[in-house]
Amino acid sequence: MKGFWPVFKRDLFASFVTPAAWVMIVLFLLLQGVNFYYLVQHFVNQVDLAVDQGPIQWFFGETVLFYLPLLMLPPALTMRAFAEERRAGTIETLLTAPVSTPAIVIAKWSAAMVTYLAAWAPTLLYIIILRRAGPVDWNVVASSYLGVVLIGSAFLALGVLMSAMSKSQFVSLVLALSVTIGLFILGIGEFIFDRGLAHDLCSYISIWSQMSDFSKGLVDTRHLVFDLSLSALPLFVTVRVVDAWRWG
Amino acid sequence: MIVVENLCKRYGSVQAVRDVSFRVDPKEVVGFLGPNGAGKSTTLRIMAGFLGATSGRVRIDGHDIVEEPIAARACIGYMPENVPLYPEMRVREYLKFRAEIKAVPRSRRNDAIEQAMHDARITDHADKLIGQLSKGYRQRVGLADALVARPPVLILDEPTAGLDPNQIREVRDLVRSLAKQHTVLLSTHIMSEVESTCDRALVIHKGRLVGQGGLDELRMLRRAGSARFALRGDAAAVEKKLRSLPEVGKVRRPGAAAARAADVAVFDVTWKDAVEDTSAAMEKAVATLVGAGFGVREASPGKTSLEDVFALLTEQQGREDRPGNQDAPADQQGASS
Repeated sequence: MKGFWPVFKRDLFASFVTPAAWVMIVLFLLLQGVNFYYLVQHFVNQVDLAVDQGPIQWFFGETVLFYLPLLMLPPALTMRAFAEERRAGTIETLLTAPVSTPAIVIAKWSAAMVTYLAAWAPTLLYIIILRRAGPVDWNVVASSYLGVVLIGSAFLALGVLMSAMSKSQFVSLVLALSVTIGLFILGIGEFIFDRGLAHDLCSYISIWSQMSDFSKGLVDTRHLVFDLSLSALPLFVTVRVVDAWRWG
Repeated sequence: MIVVENLCKRYGSVQAVRDVSFRVDPKEVVGFLGPNGAGKSTTLRIMAGFLGATSGRVRIDGHDIVEEPIAARACIGYMPENVPLYPEMRVREYLKFRAEIKAVPRSRRNDAIEQAMHDARITDHADKLIGQLSKGYRQRVGLADALVARPPVLILDEPTAGLDPNQIREVRDLVRSLAKQHTVLLSTHIMSEVESTCDRALVIHKGRLVGQGGLDELRMLRRAGSARFALRGDAAAVEKKLRSLPEVGKVRRPGAAAARAADVAVFDVTWKDAVEDTSAAMEKAVATLVGAGFGVREASPGKTSLEDVFALLTEQQGREDRPGNQDAPADQQGASS
């Protein structure tokens, strides 16, 4: 892992010293804030609440305003990763430095992950606000955030891979968006197909049912395995792609 | 220090580098000379570990660039063509990142950065954003980056491209001063640059190493093959006089446009191949003409362009290749595919 730290620090630096990360985080929080506001508005008027149908459960997974940012933030965070280095030519100085390719790939993914977590961190305030209004199930909060982190990790890994596919940030962004949104739409197939192979497949990759499990406090190992392998596999392929540039 | 053996690189059907072998000894400054598109950058990129070779080996300080890539790359300070940099970083921040990535120990890092900035003469711009620097300063940042870890080998791809004459002189002086501690391989397409900075030159043309040797050999190749005279007097008589000189091969009159006054005739003289010291031949010609009573208005040696040298070298190469050797490159290609 020679060279992980400097690359990791530089990537974080590059996103926070330029407006890029700030703009994305502000847009993200704006959407989340609107989402939270409407949810609270909605629940204020409800008289009796079901146990697993509170604002927290709804915030994590029952509205499209949650999925929109979840699907769009990771591609926006990773689009620079390799595409910009290749466009600017700095990939040449990076790859001729005494660093290993896995270290570079993991450093870029980790930097995106930290930015992603920084974007989510202020949403913890919503929980604190809810806490003032009534009891909060901390298990649900923990498993929901676990879900957000795991799915984010997989999407960021896919985004890093897509960023290595093109010299243009825009093309990388579009590629990564089509992967995350495509995955989400395939998962929706769960509600379309009747029982059978198609239904099982779709429900296995469904981000929607995954998040709805996590938001009920259910941590299913199937989801864990799915997310972790969807993080590891793209990163592994990215390492091979970057090494393949040398032989192109 | 640097050993390159039978290097070949092919992009699809294009053979960019063909069977290049050479070695560079410690503390030597070697110029890699060739026209644009000759394969200089490709060769340097392979040596720096950015590209893989189709076949052949590169060893830097005993480390094979493919088998021990990290050890080999740690020995190299590489400055790519056009010096790619991160525009959002300040010079000092960038060098700090590069020093860290090149594993300069933390205790020596600040000193190493200051020293590199001092050597590359960028200290007074240390806190400027790289995106706001001019081409010349970007070039210096690239040099400082190559120097920061004090590697034994420096590989500089066109270090003076795009600089003004003052900056070019500075870079040349810097390279010369670096030679005391480093082995330097620099590429260029300017012949005088090699003459002013290098101990030795490698000449590459169309992916093939067509010549290598010390500077004297290079100067020989560079000897002016022709001269131009502008003379006042009877044109026919002058021409006759010029032709009578034993060193003169061909005499040509480039037309009236070249002459600035009506009574001045211009001649282009090509020296015979056997004449080695063309400066002496020119001196003699001028003396003879003056002695014969013609007014010498102008006498200038023809400039030998790099292209002429390549033509000469490739001609020689062709002559050497022809007897029975013609199959050799074809074999090489067959073996590498």
